[in-house]
Amino acid sequence: MIEQLQHLPGIGPKSAQRLALYILKRPEEEVKALAIALMEAKTQVGFCTICFHLSADPICEICRSPNRDSNVLCVVSESKDVIALEKTREYRGKYHVLGGTISPMDGIGPDQLHIQPLVRRVSQQKIEEVIIAISPSVEGETTTLYVGQLLKPFTKVTRIAFGLPMGGDLEYADEVTLARALEGRRELD
Amino acid sequence: MYLRSLHLRQFRNYLDQSVEFSAPKTILVGDNAQGKSNLLEAVELLSTLRSHRTSRDRDLIRDVDAIGQISAQLERDLGSVDLAITLRNSSRRTVALNGQSLRRQLDFLGTLNIVQFSSLDLDLVRGGPEQRRNWLDSLLIQLEPIYASILQQYTHILRQRNALLRQETGVRTQVATSNQPPASELALWDAQLAVAGTRVIRRRSRVVQRIAPLATYWHRQISGSTEELMISYLPNVELQSDDPTIVQQTFLAKIQERAIAEQYQHTTLVGPHRDEVNFSINQTSARQYGSQGQQRTLVLALKLAELKLIEDVIGEPPLLLLDDVLAELDLNRQNQLLDAIQDRFQTLITTTHLGSFDAQWLNSSQVFTVKAGQVL
Ligand SMILES: Nc1ncnc2c1ncn2[C@@H]1O[C@H](COP(=O)(O)OP(=O)(O)OP(=O)(O)O)[C@@H](O)[C@H]1O
Ligand SMILES: [Mg+2]
Ligand SMILES: [Zn+2]
Repeated sequence: MIEQLQHLPGIGPKSAQRLALYILKRPEEEVKALAIALMEAKTQVGFCTICFHLSADPICEICRSPNRDSNVLCVVSESKDVIALEKTREYRGKYHVLGGTISPMDGIGPDQLHIQPLVRRVSQQKIEEVIIAISPSVEGETTTLYVGQLLKPFTKVTRIAFGLPMGGDLEYADEVTLARALEGRRELD
Repeated sequence: MYLRSLHLRQFRNYLDQSVEFSAPKTILVGDNAQGKSNLLEAVELLSTLRSHRTSRDRDLIRDVDAIGQISAQLERDLGSVDLAITLRNSSRRTVALNGQSLRRQLDFLGTLNIVQFSSLDLDLVRGGPEQRRNWLDSLLIQLEPIYASILQQYTHILRQRNALLRQETGVRTQVATSNQPPASELALWDAQLAVAGTRVIRRRSRVVQRIAPLATYWHRQISGSTEELMISYLPNVELQSDDPTIVQQTFLAKIQERAIAEQYQHTTLVGPHRDEVNFSINQTSARQYGSQGQQRTLVLALKLAELKLIEDVIGEPPLLLLDDVLAELDLNRQNQLLDAIQDRFQTLITTTHLGSFDAQWLNSSQVFTVKAGQVL
């Protein structure tokens, strides 16, 4: 069990041991409930067919919601970034999750990401602004420029400029920083 | 600046060792493989967060399951600073200043300044160009800590671009996307390489301009005014102007020129990873024609110039680390070095025999014996 837990992000050998001991001490019912919840989540949760955010249904809640602004699209690399941005409650538009960033070293090119569906979305719908919110790492920068080039013929493309530490993930940015970044977005040149 | 104490825990072959420095010079004497260089390596890490011997933290930790720690107390003009690096086997290292752990490792750099001089440096002139680039880069990190992240970024882009060139699809075919104007992935990496590379080139050029006259001065001193040293920076992408946009254009133009060769060789052929530094003595290439003695004079002159340049820029004398090198210098050069550092630059010296260099070095020195990971 310790070995399995260690595979989780952010869990080192010490934390894995601590978690394992904790789980072993809980009543059997509780452990069973956790195991079932894990399995159910895995079999039920897939990706939204429109925006590729994690979703139990073919179309996610955000894409379904009539209260969200369909004219604005925010492009992020991972589902966790959607969750971080949602926490700010500042953003009322919709999303598009690329599923990673361009990284030749890891064998990830544009074709491995959900870029084609994004271009289709933007070229076929009336979208006034696309906000690219990808962290400014080397790979993030390349992905931003790549996506920006493809979308610019169709709509206004901006990016949010956050003063995140180099290699920092959106996930770690606090809500205030993200909200401020959303306001201070600038047009991609 | 003055390094007052050093504490090593689970670091290399040290289990738990404190060292107090109480003299301008510290001589670490001991047989081979006892831990002398390990101690200097700890000081190097505190200064640069890099070791010239390894890039993996797990090599630095003694017992597999333990956490390694290097901590030190440093006196600077503005007061005393506590530095600490914590090394882990399976997760990232963390750094702290005055007990405050730092979010960005970059903020740790520049607190402790050093000049390293080891027997390996004696090959600086005759060795490959990579050695000379490393020499420049280490100096730059001391002077402008931000350069560490500039260089890291360049190297990272370079690795990505090389990975793309190795892929079949990495050749300059354009990626067609439905009915859009095609965008080439490689062109985006070109642009990033040019921007980051230009930063590297401009800073390297600047540091060569600053260190060259100092090195020339010292070389003249040591050679008894018979030799004129010239240092020149030969960037792979020519630096015709100080304007970064012009350098970037030159960079991109050269990438275009070498595009076909890059496709065949599947690697990046343009950029500061192919820079060279040229040393000439009395207008003759020191690399090809310099005698052993001239090369030693040259390296010593470079090190003295580094000390002076860092002192000028930082405003305080850096530490000097002499690893196994003193015995390699003849009496005249040893004395030149001694005269230059006097008691101003705190110096840590390793040696296997006290008798292998001039006794004058023992003045104002404290001597420690290093044996099997213990400092006695
Ligand atoms: N992670 C580690 N854990 C335990 N011991 C280590 C570790 N890394 C290196 N060592 C040991 O440290 C010793 C080398 O120490 P060091 O390089 O400081 O030698 P030295 O005293 O400078 O010798 P020399 O005079 O040959 O240069 C070796 O015995 C090596 O096995
Ligand atoms: Mg040694
Ligand atoms: Zn959706």
